[in-house]
Amino acid sequence: MNQTVEYLALQDWIWLVAFVALMVGTGVAFYRLAVRSEEDFFLAGRKLPWWLPAVSVYATHTATDTPIFVTGIVFLYGVSGVWYLIFPIWVAVSAFTSTRIFRRSLAYTIAEWQNLRFSGIRAEMLRGWFAGWQFFMSMFVLGWVGAAMGKVSAILFGWPPWIGIVGFATLCAVYVLAAGYWGVVVADFQQGVIAFILIVLVSVWAILAAGGPAAIADKIDRMNSTYSWEVPEVSEPARDCLLRVEGTAEEKQGLAATMDGVFSIEPESAKRGAAPTREQVYESGGGLRILFPRPGDALRGGDEVKVIWTQVDGAEDLKLSLSRDGGGTWEVIGDRLRNGQSWRLDPFAFSGWFQGDFPLAWFFTMLMMAIIGGIGVGTNSDWFVEAQRMQSADTLKGATLAMLGGGISVVFRNGIWVAAILGLFTLTPHVASVSQVETSWYTAGFRYLPAGAVGLFVAAIIAIHLSTVSTRLNLGAMYATRDLYHHYIKPRATERELVWAGRISTLVLLLGSFIYGMMITEITEWLIFAMWIMFAGVWLPNVLQVVWWRFNAWGYLSAWVSSLVFSWLVVWVLPEFGVLPVLPNHAQFWILLGLGAAVFVPFTLLTKAEDMDHLIRFYVMTRPIGWWGPVKREAQRRGLISDELRSEP
Amino acid sequence: MSGKLSFKRDWTAAEADQWSKEDFAAAALGVLAFVAVAFGTPYAFLLRPAGFALFFGGVGLGALMLWIIGPKLNAVSADYEKKQKRYLEDLEKIMRWEELDG
Repeated sequence: MNQTVEYLALQDWIWLVAFVALMVGTGVAFYRLAVRSEEDFFLAGRKLPWWLPAVSVYATHTATDTPIFVTGIVFLYGVSGVWYLIFPIWVAVSAFTSTRIFRRSLAYTIAEWQNLRFSGIRAEMLRGWFAGWQFFMSMFVLGWVGAAMGKVSAILFGWPPWIGIVGFATLCAVYVLAAGYWGVVVADFQQGVIAFILIVLVSVWAILAAGGPAAIADKIDRMNSTYSWEVPEVSEPARDCLLRVEGTAEEKQGLAATMDGVFSIEPESAKRGAAPTREQVYESGGGLRILFPRPGDALRGGDEVKVIWTQVDGAEDLKLSLSRDGGGTWEVIGDRLRNGQSWRLDPFAFSGWFQGDFPLAWFFTMLMMAIIGGIGVGTNSDWFVEAQRMQSADTLKGATLAMLGGGISVVFRNGIWVAAILGLFTLTPHVASVSQVETSWYTAGFRYLPAGAVGLFVAAIIAIHLSTVSTRLNLGAMYATRDLYHHYIKPRATERELVWAGRISTLVLLLGSFIYGMMITEITEWLIFAMWIMFAGVWLPNVLQVVWWRFNAWGYLSAWVSSLVFSWLVVWVLPEFGVLPVLPNHAQFWILLGLGAAVFVPFTLLTKAEDMDHLIRFYVMTRPIGWWGPVKREAQRRGLISDELRSEP
Repeated sequence: MSGKLSFKRDWTAAEADQWSKEDFAAAALGVLAFVAVAFGTPYAFLLRPAGFALFFGGVGLGALMLWIIGPKLNAVSADYEKKQKRYLEDLEKIMRWEELDG
């Protein structure tokens, strides 16, 4: 019997069925508004009050895998993991720069934007490329979240994964096919509200279950030092193993402790080895000593375990070494290790400038990508979703507020999760592998919520899945309809034909996503690589297209092509042949950015600028920020924009 | 407010179309507000005084941001809505591969 099904009482099932029916029903109820035109089917007629797209942003970016991701980040980095989740700050910059510029362009999609920013056949090539890419990406994201929901459904209801993949997406498609974007935002509103309430409720329950807010901080302060260690694989049992921890105490005095007796490492084929306990993490007193493994323990090669040693006041620069021959020779298995766990409450607990798992170099790179990237258009995967919400707001001011409202809600939600997951961490601090605890937030909901509320919790899980699916179905269909069918295949299509093209595209996406969902594990690595190309190699060109009048379509196209080549080389091919080491993320980003610039800057400067009439039209319409002097002066000379400011004192 | 730190409260449409220090101040305050809320929320849920200070500091920064940018945003938005209809017509001409006027 499935464990979660046991948690569901009759009133839970009633809530669950009622809420799903409400979501689908109200979505479908907007059918008549959606069928009026292409603009209605994809942008709700550009008539939405700001809070509807704001909630839609929030709901869309709360997916079934988000709490799993946040759990992993907090278990690894504590509060400093918030920096990993701070990426929505790009919205704070964008709301006052690129959101205003993009909203003024009125482009349905970022593909359409290419036609406005650039001119001629190059712009058409870019538009076609973006449309195809985004249709494909939507299918991939749908497959990805579908596969995740397949796993969640197996846990929730004991169903085989394919039912989770096909069933919920099909349910969602009912209102997306009927009511397009109207259905998406109206359902998103309900989904966003219910998800938000349940996230707060479950998180508060989790904090209380961990002993309450004060107890969580106290427990973390009392915890011993730990290191997640993957036990080396051995072909023959190693019976004379020892661990030693060394470091410096206050006033730089040396500090060292070696195990009192040996432990063994068994081959991978042996039965599961010894595991640390929660109590060992909290055991106190006795100076520096290793608490796990204990003398006589047998660990299994390939297993991940937490080595535990006592917390000592003022200890730092800790190093852990292994001897396989009873102390004759030593190999370092971890260095620059932290003392105790109090660092988990420190927002600046970085692992050094360039070393370790969370270096400052990566922190500054992420901040720069978010803040500078906020000025550009299409600088991250969320941009494509947000672009639709910007254009669906009733006014330019509404688009700005929608972005701010959606972004801050996401940041607030992450903060609640971080607190709750820190609490859950105090319950299982001895678990080494994040994969064993990544669903702990979900488990907390099922375990601690009262009957009735569990049904709502399951409804909220379904809601956050449906909001992501509905958004991606409509978004991908918009690229296929607006940019491929309407622009290239049938430019004079009637509104009725366009709505039907939207529906057929939605259906194709849905069916394609089922195939992706079933085979996602085989293609995930390749697709993550494909997404990485998108953001590392063309990040700077995405900014330049907004801030530099001279940046042209040839530069942009060359950036895309070179990015494809360089990404393969830097990420896969050269490390495979030993020419380059496997580089950390920040190094990959800067190298790809530099290599790309070495191609697209010459391409831009050696080819003609975009047609001045086209640039003036774009400038007058969107008023981009940055270096647009020649275009602005020409527009003023032609009397297309006011130059009254020049006469001001 | 007065002197160099003053922020303009009355905007003509032409003035609001120019990028100004109000835009940059709003973006900077927005980033600070987001960071303050991001860290203030978990600390506040753990009942740490610094968390409440950060969280409400973030809310205050957000309010200041809206106070600074509000008048300009109203002006630029109202002016743009008047022109939107013509721009939408241009957009549809591009869709149909027609020449744009002017």
